[in-house]
Amino acid sequence: MSKAENKRAVIVGLFVFIGLAILIAGIFILGSQQKKFTKTFEITTSFPDVAGLKVGSNVWFSGVKVGIIKNIHFKNLQDVEVVMTIEEKSAEYIRKDAITKLGSDGLIGNKIIVISGGSQNAPSIEANDFLRSAKAADMEAMMETLQLNNQNLAKITTDFVEISRGLVEGRGVVGSLLTDTALVSSLQQSLRSISQVMASANTATSNLVLLTDKLNSKKGLVHDLATDTAVFASLRSSAAQLQGVSQTANALMTNLNAASNKLNNKDNAIGTLINDPTVGNELREVVRNLNTSTAKLDQNMEALQSNFLLRGFFKKKEKETKKANQQALKDSIQ
Amino acid sequence: MLNKLRSFFTEFANIHRFLLRFWRELVTPPYEFKEIIRQCFEIGWKSLPLISVTGFIVGFVFTKQSRPSLEEFGATSWLPSLISIAIVRALAPLVTALIASGKIGSQVGAELSSMNVTEQIDAMEVSGTNPFKFLIVSRIIATTISIPILTFYVAGIGLLGGYLSLASKDDLSFLSFFTQVFETIGYQDLWAMVFRAVVFGFTIGAVSCYCGYYSSKGTEGVGKAANAAVVASMFLVFIEEIIIVQILAIIN
Repeated sequence: MSKAENKRAVIVGLFVFIGLAILIAGIFILGSQQKKFTKTFEITTSFPDVAGLKVGSNVWFSGVKVGIIKNIHFKNLQDVEVVMTIEEKSAEYIRKDAITKLGSDGLIGNKIIVISGGSQNAPSIEANDFLRSAKAADMEAMMETLQLNNQNLAKITTDFVEISRGLVEGRGVVGSLLTDTALVSSLQQSLRSISQVMASANTATSNLVLLTDKLNSKKGLVHDLATDTAVFASLRSSAAQLQGVSQTANALMTNLNAASNKLNNKDNAIGTLINDPTVGNELREVVRNLNTSTAKLDQNMEALQSNFLLRGFFKKKEKETKKANQQALKDSIQ
Repeated sequence: MLNKLRSFFTEFANIHRFLLRFWRELVTPPYEFKEIIRQCFEIGWKSLPLISVTGFIVGFVFTKQSRPSLEEFGATSWLPSLISIAIVRALAPLVTALIASGKIGSQVGAELSSMNVTEQIDAMEVSGTNPFKFLIVSRIIATTISIPILTFYVAGIGLLGGYLSLASKDDLSFLSFFTQVFETIGYQDLWAMVFRAVVFGFTIGAVSCYCGYYSSKGTEGVGKAANAAVVASMFLVFIEEIIIVQILAIIN
């Protein structure tokens, strides 16, 4: 083998070695990042909804990556079981009563599983343990609440708009207070009259003071009323007379009462006339008979007029009335 | 028309016979190790500067060009992931294969066809050396080894270029860049890259050797062979890329 060939072989060997070294380095970095070469064990958890969690996604504990998702499958109708591989060296810090949650590494980032909680005195997790899951802060639920907030805000602002418009337009008590000048002047007036009232009240109280002073002094009718015994005796006698008068009036009323009672009874003429319905009916009958007899009399009288014995008298009477009418006409013309 | 069709199928038959002969000669002794190493030196080592520069530029420029569109979302922190996926899954094997088919295809095609024209191949046969084994098998083996190696270089240097482009704008440490790079890709991406590079290497070697070995006589044939080697290998690289992408999509 010549020297040149030897050199060439070395260069080719180096070339291939470095190229392969790059590949192998890549493989090892990848392996160490995916925790393929660290000691791990599996634990499981289950969720009703994994929201697009993928095999190979990260598992975080206190914000530190402690493992990856190894497998996702359906457990039963409600639950999806997620198998995670957890590094042994991190496992001692994760407690058996820790809770798993779905999270994401950023607002629109990949889904991850976040292990949190766990009490101090609970033992550390071991292989094939099951961790309970908690419902994560759901983006959709959050958005729904936000939406509700927005709607309420919108309503509140519309109400405020209306209130402020009312204030500007002078509607309502506050509005008119703000804008109505007439109201202001009337308010001023009423304040003024209130002050007048107060002034007169003042004088009234001073008068009252005067009056009570007078009452206390031994002058005037009221004082006499309150103190003089003679006046009281005469007052009593006049009250007794008043009582007598009222007794007489009472007797009068009793008599009147008795009289009207008699009117109501049927054992006298007026009472019968007023109270007995049969008397009323008979009276009505009498009146009807009278009616028919007068009608018949009327017919008789008409028949009498057309009788030949009396016709001449009636004609004559007619002519006289005519003549009298014409005479009266002539007189009126002249 | 019929003649064209006949020549088309004859070509297919020739290619088939060529490939069969290659596999037969590959497994039967004697083995031309020295020649393979020489060809690795010629093909791989001598292409390294060209391909390294290309890979660096691809990584650097790709990162710079992707930055504005990711900036729109405020997602520049995802640039390392984007670069790693782009370079490892697609760019590294493809760029290497295209540069190599330009450089190696023309080199091998012209070399073999000029040997053919000057009847050196016949002379070799007369002198008792198997020209197919000595010329063809060694070259195809050399490309099949060299191009994956070159691809790894390109991937490494391309990622480095991407990092330098990023670091010129962001204050990003080398370690955190590579952590993000390897967070996004998986083993299957690495194996797909290796597989692609091997297929491309074999394709470039085989196509270039075929075009050179069966070139037409005369000086004109040398140019034609070199041209055909480059065009056919580039074209086939793209066809294979499509097929491999489809197969990987089905596997995943």
